Amino acid sequence: MAEAPTRRDFIGCVAAGLAVSAATVREAEAFFLPGPPPSVASAPSRPVVAIARREGMIDRPAGKLDMRKVQEALGAAVSRAAGEKTAVDAFQKLFTPRDVVGIKVNCLAGRGLSTRPEVAAQIALWLQVAGVPPGQIVIWDRTERELKSAGFSPSQSGPRVIGTDGDYEGRLREWGPGASRFARLLVEDLTAVIDVPLLKDHGLSGVSLGMKNLYGTIHNPNKLHDEGCNPFLPHLSAFPLLREKLRLTVVDGTTGQCHGGPGFSPAWAWEYQGFLASTDIVAVDAAGWRVLEERRKSQGLKSLALEGREPRYIRDAQKLGLGVGDEARVDVRNV
Amino acid sequence: MKSRREFLCSLGGACVAAVAGPGFAQDVAPRGTMVPVEEGGLAPRPAGWYKKLPEEWVQCGLCPRGCRISDAERGTCGVRENRKGNLYTLVHSRPCTVALDPIEKKPFFHVLPGSPVLSLATAGCNFDCKGCQNWEIAQARPEQVRSFTLTPEDAIGVARERGAPLVACTYTEPTVFSEYVLDIARAGRGKGIRTVVVSNGSIQQQPLADLCAELAAYKVDLKGFNETFYRQHTGGELKPVLETLRRLMKLGTWTEIVVLVIPTLNDSMEEIKSLARFVVNDLGPEVPVHFTRFHPAYRLMNLPSTPVSTLERARQTAMEQGLRFVYLGNVPGHPGENTFCPGCGRTLIKRRGMALLENNLKGGSCPDCRRKIPGVWV
Repeated sequence: MAEAPTRRDFIGCVAAGLAVSAATVREAEAFFLPGPPPSVASAPSRPVVAIARREGMIDRPAGKLDMRKVQEALGAAVSRAAGEKTAVDAFQKLFTPRDVVGIKVNCLAGRGLSTRPEVAAQIALWLQVAGVPPGQIVIWDRTERELKSAGFSPSQSGPRVIGTDGDYEGRLREWGPGASRFARLLVEDLTAVIDVPLLKDHGLSGVSLGMKNLYGTIHNPNKLHDEGCNPFLPHLSAFPLLREKLRLTVVDGTTGQCHGGPGFSPAWAWEYQGFLASTDIVAVDAAGWRVLEERRKSQGLKSLALEGREPRYIRDAQKLGLGVGDEARVDVRNV
Repeated sequence: MKSRREFLCSLGGACVAAVAGPGFAQDVAPRGTMVPVEEGGLAPRPAGWYKKLPEEWVQCGLCPRGCRISDAERGTCGVRENRKGNLYTLVHSRPCTVALDPIEKKPFFHVLPGSPVLSLATAGCNFDCKGCQNWEIAQARPEQVRSFTLTPEDAIGVARERGAPLVACTYTEPTVFSEYVLDIARAGRGKGIRTVVVSNGSIQQQPLADLCAELAAYKVDLKGFNETFYRQHTGGELKPVLETLRRLMKLGTWTEIVVLVIPTLNDSMEEIKSLARFVVNDLGPEVPVHFTRFHPAYRLMNLPSTPVSTLERARQTAMEQGLRFVYLGNVPGHPGENTFCPGCGRTLIKRRGMALLENNLKGGSCPDCRRKIPGVWV
């Protein structure tokens, strides 16, 4: 059993701007998830996407997150995605104390439609409880500017919170249809990645979920938006540097946005109050796409296909062998 | 291995600075005008040449790509950002490279031969050429390079101090920082400093017309002469570049063309012949064309340097089509670097690499047969 965080670790965590309480640490250890365990059908060939929603997750009118509900839903999604009973078990299964884990958040749209700092902090906390030292956890995105705009407080201690800014490796790596410099952090430090995208629409790629968030690991995403980001997204996601390190994708769906993305468009944002998690990035992207399409339909919007921006890259990622995008072959569980 | 700074300094000889460094910043600090710079080194300023679209989208009207950009996103160039339905340039007055070069390096062979030129670039490009020599800055977003503040007025001031009659917007793609280019050109007006650009020619009509009203000369990299090559190896399209060249003629802007000849990709003599015919028929036989030697770079590290014999054949082929001023580039010491009088054959301008050795022109004409030689000579 991994060691629980020390008081120093916890203080470091708070200092990093990660809003957690002391009680959260104890709760994280004791957290037990409801619902049946994964079925036999949930074999690697049949990936699991766990969807967990909790009414009241966003406390109105203040708009703050109810952290108990966040823990409950996030824990349920992550544990089921990993086929474990508790979130801590899930993180222990997916990560070792020797790992250096990057939590890749998405802060492009600033406050309102970015990965919530509280969600990233909760994941960081579970990682610590699972035995990963805080100094080996990094919450990161493209720039400090974007992190700050989303409410993160950059920090170099405890679980670090850092922007890549200009710190890309010097060499160029060919990854199929594109070539990029990757964040030095990813290349040199991280042994594992948790992808924490948003549940949102994207005007060019159709949706912005797990694969799209990986554009934030390279220096030249602006060159890769033609043709709905296809075939760029599948090939980048399949590049060994990312594929071999990506262990888990958790879509932060506390707030979703079904149209007008990737920027924050309040008219199309809604409180989904949930998370989607999977170890299969293609499966979770397909499930997230479905959620967004359902929301679009309920709002009287045309489907993405009719708007000419169906995210074909998800199916092409399956063809590439990156994961399973065919929903009939995915074990989608509401937990 | 040389850093880019060392590389540029060694090439330029009289290098002022390249890739923002404290030394250069101190040099210009006394005149330095401050501009608001955000965290990350961005200096957002309202962009020109775009139109607003519903739902806070914008469409950039600078280059033929016409990027549709949603809030919080950037165009392909990486330096123009939509913020709540307004487009901003992030690089105005924020060059990442400044150096003093000879004009022959651009290369302009018919513009003030032997003149020093203050050369500058910001991050960003609307193409993604696989053989790009400057990809570290051209394919970077502004946060990824070290930039510094140099207003248009300051750039003109530096050029005057260094005895440079010209400012060249070069190295990356000036089209993507057109607002800055235009302001530099306007700042130099009346102060004896003219502005030139070295461009891929992929620009829409209106910004081109606006720029040409102020620029002294325009160099276009014609990267090949077939659409497939353009699509596969540059990320751009040929047709708009040809249109730019035709418009430059109509606008009366002095234009020179550079063709980087890359082994196996654009080096067939059939293609060269077609290219030369286009220049002769659509632009005129007096437009200088430079065939330059490729050296492995960026994503074309697998190809060898262009054999000099290929360049010589290209030159010969182009001259057979009627072109009168055809040069070789990146082959120091080759006779193809020199300017010969089409009338009597006399050597008018002798060069070696980027150095001017002789200039025998008299008032822009051959001293022997008095044939007028086109160019910007005074």
